[in-house]
Amino acid sequence: MELTITGANAMTSPHLHVWDWRVSLYLFLGGLSAGLAIMTSILHVRKGGKLAEGDRAAITAPIYVPVILTIGMLFIFMDLERKLNVFWFYLTVQPLSPMSWGSWGLLVFYPVSILFALATLPAPNRRYLLIPALIRWSEKLQRFKLQLAALNFGMGIFIGVYTGVLLSSFVARPLWNSAILPVLFLTSAMSAGAAFMIMIAQQKKAKLFFTKVDIWLVLAEMVMLPLFFYGQYTSSGAHRESIMPFFTFNHDYFWYGIGMLLLLIVLPIALVMKYLEVHEDHGEELTPVALMKMNVSALMVLAGGLIIRLSFVYAGQLSHLS
Amino acid sequence: MPKYAMVIDQRRCVACMACVVACKKENEVPPEQFRTRVVESTEGTYPLLRMELRSELCNHCDNPPCVYNCPTGASYKRKEDGLVLLRKNRCVGCKSCLAACPYDARYINEEKGYADKCTFCEHRIKEGKEPACVATCIGKSRIFGDLDDPRSNVSRALRENHHEVLLESAGTKPRVYYVKKFSKPE
Amino acid sequence: MTKSISRRSFLKISGATTVGLSVAATLPDKFLLWAEEQGMVKPTYTATLCEICFWKCGVMAKSLNGRVVKLEGNPNHPGARGRLCARGNGGTGLLYDPDRLRSPMIRTGARGDGQYRKASWDEALNLVAEKLAAIKKQHGPESVALFTHGTPTDHFLPLLSAFGSPNVGMPSFAQCRGPRDVGLELTFGETIGSPERLDMANSKVIVLLGSHLGENMHNSQVQDFTEAIGKGAKFIVVDPRFSIAAGKAAHWLPIRPATDMALVLTWINVIIAEGLYDRDYIGRYAEGFAELAKAVEKYTPEWAEKETDIPAAQILETARLMGKNAPSVCIHPGRHATWYGDDVQRTRSLGILMALLGSWGRPGGAFFATNASFPKMEAKPFPESRETLNGGGFPFAGAEGVTQAIRSSTIDGKPYPIKAWIVTGTNLMKSIPNQKETLEAINKLDFLVAVDVMPFDTVMLADVILPECSYLERHDALAVGKGKSLTVSLRQPVIEPRYESKPGWWIAKELGTRLGLAEYFPWKTYEDKIKSQCQHWGVDYEQLKKLGTITIADTAAPFITASNPPVFKTKSGKIELYSGELKEKGFDPVPQYTQHQRPKGGEFRLIYGRHAVHTFSRTTNNPELHELCPENVVWVNAGIAKEMGLADGNYVTLVNQDGARSNPIKAKVTERIREDCVYMIHGFGTKSKALKKAFQKGADDQGLVTRYAVDPICGGTGMRVNFVRINKEFIDA
Repeated sequence: MELTITGANAMTSPHLHVWDWRVSLYLFLGGLSAGLAIMTSILHVRKGGKLAEGDRAAITAPIYVPVILTIGMLFIFMDLERKLNVFWFYLTVQPLSPMSWGSWGLLVFYPVSILFALATLPAPNRRYLLIPALIRWSEKLQRFKLQLAALNFGMGIFIGVYTGVLLSSFVARPLWNSAILPVLFLTSAMSAGAAFMIMIAQQKKAKLFFTKVDIWLVLAEMVMLPLFFYGQYTSSGAHRESIMPFFTFNHDYFWYGIGMLLLLIVLPIALVMKYLEVHEDHGEELTPVALMKMNVSALMVLAGGLIIRLSFVYAGQLSHLS
Repeated sequence: MPKYAMVIDQRRCVACMACVVACKKENEVPPEQFRTRVVESTEGTYPLLRMELRSELCNHCDNPPCVYNCPTGASYKRKEDGLVLLRKNRCVGCKSCLAACPYDARYINEEKGYADKCTFCEHRIKEGKEPACVATCIGKSRIFGDLDDPRSNVSRALRENHHEVLLESAGTKPRVYYVKKFSKPE
Repeated sequence: MTKSISRRSFLKISGATTVGLSVAATLPDKFLLWAEEQGMVKPTYTATLCEICFWKCGVMAKSLNGRVVKLEGNPNHPGARGRLCARGNGGTGLLYDPDRLRSPMIRTGARGDGQYRKASWDEALNLVAEKLAAIKKQHGPESVALFTHGTPTDHFLPLLSAFGSPNVGMPSFAQCRGPRDVGLELTFGETIGSPERLDMANSKVIVLLGSHLGENMHNSQVQDFTEAIGKGAKFIVVDPRFSIAAGKAAHWLPIRPATDMALVLTWINVIIAEGLYDRDYIGRYAEGFAELAKAVEKYTPEWAEKETDIPAAQILETARLMGKNAPSVCIHPGRHATWYGDDVQRTRSLGILMALLGSWGRPGGAFFATNASFPKMEAKPFPESRETLNGGGFPFAGAEGVTQAIRSSTIDGKPYPIKAWIVTGTNLMKSIPNQKETLEAINKLDFLVAVDVMPFDTVMLADVILPECSYLERHDALAVGKGKSLTVSLRQPVIEPRYESKPGWWIAKELGTRLGLAEYFPWKTYEDKIKSQCQHWGVDYEQLKKLGTITIADTAAPFITASNPPVFKTKSGKIELYSGELKEKGFDPVPQYTQHQRPKGGEFRLIYGRHAVHTFSRTTNNPELHELCPENVVWVNAGIAKEMGLADGNYVTLVNQDGARSNPIKAKVTERIREDCVYMIHGFGTKSKALKKAFQKGADDQGLVTRYAVDPICGGTGMRVNFVRINKEFIDA
């Protein structure tokens, strides 16, 4: 078929390109902070809080959550074409727009994560808060630590799902338009959170605990990815077309092929490494070599998450109905 | 209450681009940006060929994904006549609507930053005029009117001809109909 | 312009308060823009005429804050009927083109190197007058020639005649419609006119021979064309290319280029042999039928199949389709008819076909122009001049002149020298074949003055450039339309001329005054002239200003009826199937087919055409239109491209039989064209650097037309006789 289109817009032709690495990074960092929020809640709740005992991560992880979220949100803010209108997000509720409930969700998530960070701050560290009111708050919130952990956990799930729904709600973009995508993104967010936790935790027990958690999450991710592609492949023509960038190894789709190969390498290797880490007899203290291995496998999981966000954001814009 | 719609009689389109330019001038669309376009596609091998000319624009869907995905309510479907419009001062330029539209009918206005689109020339309808593209259409290929009025041009065109919408399976319920073939529906 | 016009551009603030321009001008721009965005400024509408092409459609120009924001079709105008094409809609692109000529300029460098200095109007006009006067004194007034097209003609042709020279050359004749008009005149005693008087809207069958309506965007004609589609007319489209029109056709006949006459003569033969012609009509109105029948006997479908590459069965089928639907058959005689040098005869064969089908003067065929006309105005007669040379010795050359005859006299000084050219509204470099010859002639000139809106290639070769304002800023001669009814249309300025540009009438009058010809311009402003004309004609000027077009009632008599018998202004007073006039001058009295040279292996016949958003080379820099079609592409048959290893979008250069090489141009690899030819849109490959958008974009077809076949009957230059080779260029698309 010979096709000539006169009057096409560069933003949508020959394919959509409205979102770039900024949105990818937003989705990744948003997911990471959500995953970390979940893991932090687990850290503080697990074994009645014993897992967190004496670990610096018990203090830093809750703080990392709003910090990472802030960086992520900076990226999405950078992507807005009319930044001064941003307040409109909060003058309306659009029930069918994921971005609307996402922005309201963030409005809840933000204070919850900060309150949780305050609540989990041990008494000796409170003086760093400097402001007396904050210190008082921190003291008072201590009592609601468990409730806040639950809330933080819940909001983490919400935001993790949201980063996927944001993309999956577009009927026009078949690659994104899959119900698996939000779950995949949530799993990926949680595994990234666990990986991050492994890196910032000090103690062997916490590190190994989250390594175990991450094994299951990475495994789940590795099941979900092929299922996602299988689902797309067996769906409508447009859906089938949509995954082709990942499996057409040619000049046009070079980066998608590379991304796919990387995922094929990174995730299994990380999984095997983690399996070995868990089954290794570590002794009292982790050796520098074991620590390095743990960090490397954690970084691989994080990289996997980033690759998924980047390749999905870009490849989704190549896909179209018809 | 009118229910505005457009019928594009593809038989009568000659891809002259009058609509494209008229629309741009009427709505002050920035250079290199467009609210409507013309697709020219040819199938077959020499000399057995078939050509299709199709002008495309916002479908003013009854099920508008762009409206559903708008986080601020800037995009909305006007109750009284079903036009899909934009409250410009509310638009944050998140581009969700661009991603949501299966017809690629939207663009970010390079001069103003908002996610602009065809309005069926809402301002002209108000004055009792046809949209600019319809008013200038050399082939009278574009027909505009009220679906609720059985005597309107659009109602008649739909009654008398086989017609279809773009990407029907997307479930967007477009209000822009295409007539390709002659003769009445069976 | 005049006061009354400025009042039109007044601003109306909502609430019906009218604020004069003088007041509006004192308001800060920002406020005005804001008020405009709030919808507080009401637009004003001015009726005028388009000049983006020669169809001259009626326009309602919408202006806001003294800015022309939109152009709409004038419902009163028969060529527009309330609609404008893409080009008409994009007319503001010309008005606001930043590359417009802004002030008079005088050449400082060598011809063609683009070095100019700004000059005042006085200086420039004095220089032009001085040069022309000197040439008149030394060589006689006829040594000054005028090349012109469009409305500037109405101002500069009288100037030339008053000056004493008969030598005008309009490319619209020898490079375009000439052969068609001559062919039809020889057959019916009159031409088909412009706009063509075809009743397509009511045709049952429409035959297009190389005519690509739709891409060839003539407003009301294309409206009729689509109306016919809507009514279910059958189209027979003869074109080596699957054009837009071919896409609508019941029969697309992809003919071997240059064999059109074989097809038409065979159709004629079949229609006669099968008795499908209108016996009564022919008996009553035509003469020479027996001679015709005998002369076309040899053109059998089987013979034609070999010649034209169209199956005999299809030739028969289409001939019968025409015959059965006669007389509601529209045989379109084409417009740009200068193809192969036998173009008068080809048009005659089309005319004969029309006659046989009885469609001339019948609904669905061709209709008659109104008989009515406006009374002539008294004017000072022009001086006698020496014999014209613009006929080039061709027996049927028209009054528009044979451009290339003036060009060759400029080069060789025979029969007398041409020393100066005035070029108005035409881009000769892109319109006359063989650019080398044109350049040679220009370099022999003592003086070349160009009047135009944009710095086109030819303008940038001039010694003095006089910037005309665009059509939206000036008055022009009243446009009298002789279609079905008599109409009169007005062009009036929508805004004041921008920069230092001036209307054509002002430039002509000022030059005339400086040449001592003031009495030929006995009015102060052109509006005065128009007013007195209106008065003379009994047309209400104020009404005309408001409506743009006035149709004179009860002036239509389009079809043959008992009370409206046809008048044929031929020698015999009948339709001349057999032309005694041609016979007398030594040409075939009945058209006969001659085979033309065909391209050899590896060569392709270069054919060219139009794009719906462009007019010649005049719109390629228009920002509104440029963005829709910034450069042309060369259509190459997909099979050939595969053999050559050519992909869609690859750049190629074309080299013709004389070694002329084109700019790099993108290949459009397509199934939509025959294997033996390539096609491109005319008018690209601008060499003038001053046209910043169009400069060097695409390839110039005219640059490849170094060979041309001159029609011995009228001097038309057949330009589809060039063969090119395709060279791959290693530039990434």
